[in-house]
Amino acid sequence: MKPIRERDVTFIDLVDRVLDKGLVIRADIIISLAGIPLVGINLGAAIAGMETMLRYGIMEEWDKEIRGEAICQK
Amino acid sequence: MDGRYIYCITDGGKNISPGKIGIEKAEVYTISFCNLLAVVHNCEAKAYYSEDEDAVINWIITHQQVVDEAWKRFGTVLPITFNTIIKGNTEDVRAWLKQEYESLCKKIRRFRGKAEYGIQVFWDINMIEGILVDRDTGLKGLQREMTSKTDGIAYMYKQKFEKRLKAEIEAEAELCFKKLYNQIKAHVEDIFVEKIKRKEGNTQMLMNLSCLVPKDRRSYVGEEIEKINSTNGLSVRFTGPWPPYSFVELDRI
Repeated sequence: MKPIRERDVTFIDLVDRVLDKGLVIRADIIISLAGIPLVGINLGAAIAGMETMLRYGIMEEWDKEIRGEAICQK
Repeated sequence: MDGRYIYCITDGGKNISPGKIGIEKAEVYTISFCNLLAVVHNCEAKAYYSEDEDAVINWIITHQQVVDEAWKRFGTVLPITFNTIIKGNTEDVRAWLKQEYESLCKKIRRFRGKAEYGIQVFWDINMIEGILVDRDTGLKGLQREMTSKTDGIAYMYKQKFEKRLKAEIEAEAELCFKKLYNQIKAHVEDIFVEKIKRKEGNTQMLMNLSCLVPKDRRSYVGEEIEKINSTNGLSVRFTGPWPPYSFVELDRI
């Protein structure tokens, strides 16, 4: 069986890796990402269970929900 | 601009300038220290943020395209998490490379000639349930009672049946996981067990692995995956090759 890497069918796998993994630089010259409500991170959660690359409808719902929570916490 | 967005670290030796292939068409170039190269672009000293999902999706894809470009050119990369920005100029990045030189070189050596693959195994719950009921006389008995008794008693049996079936599915999942894990482990250098993703429907994820595989063993892994994929009730999603995202932070050197 051959592995797949086509962008349109492995976007979820890419997001799982690029947002949550990779080398983390620990140095005081790094801009801290803690607490920054990066849409990208919400996207990671929103598309985690999706079959196809981009179901914008679902994402919008998720995003609204997450942003709603963020506002509530402020 | 007083920030440097970092895509990855490699040990190419010679600086490259692949052009405006970065996030928001930024000019990508390399900063070197000895044999190490940091693949970067100049940016403001603040994290990328957007409310526009399309823009974020593009950033993520572009981040990976730049990492892929470096990977293609140099053979080994240490991919860095999205949105990592060093505050300072080229000299600050160089000073950081110098400071981390030993550990970065060690990591690069570890990943030379290797790539990461995603292996997700799914099983057909309906089919597994059928097999379990066929195999277990206790379950079969409960199912019989469930269909032959009157409403109230049938309901009680139904609950018993479902409880027992659930326990058996869990036990079967554990057994199946162990078997598949060992089967895959024999062919890969390292395994990272990822969380299972729940979803609707009969096809459920049983196992989610990231595996580090040396190039010369790739075809063996493919053959093993093929065997799993052709097993009744199982299917595999096999992705890659990825740069070693899941392993660069694991301290197993």
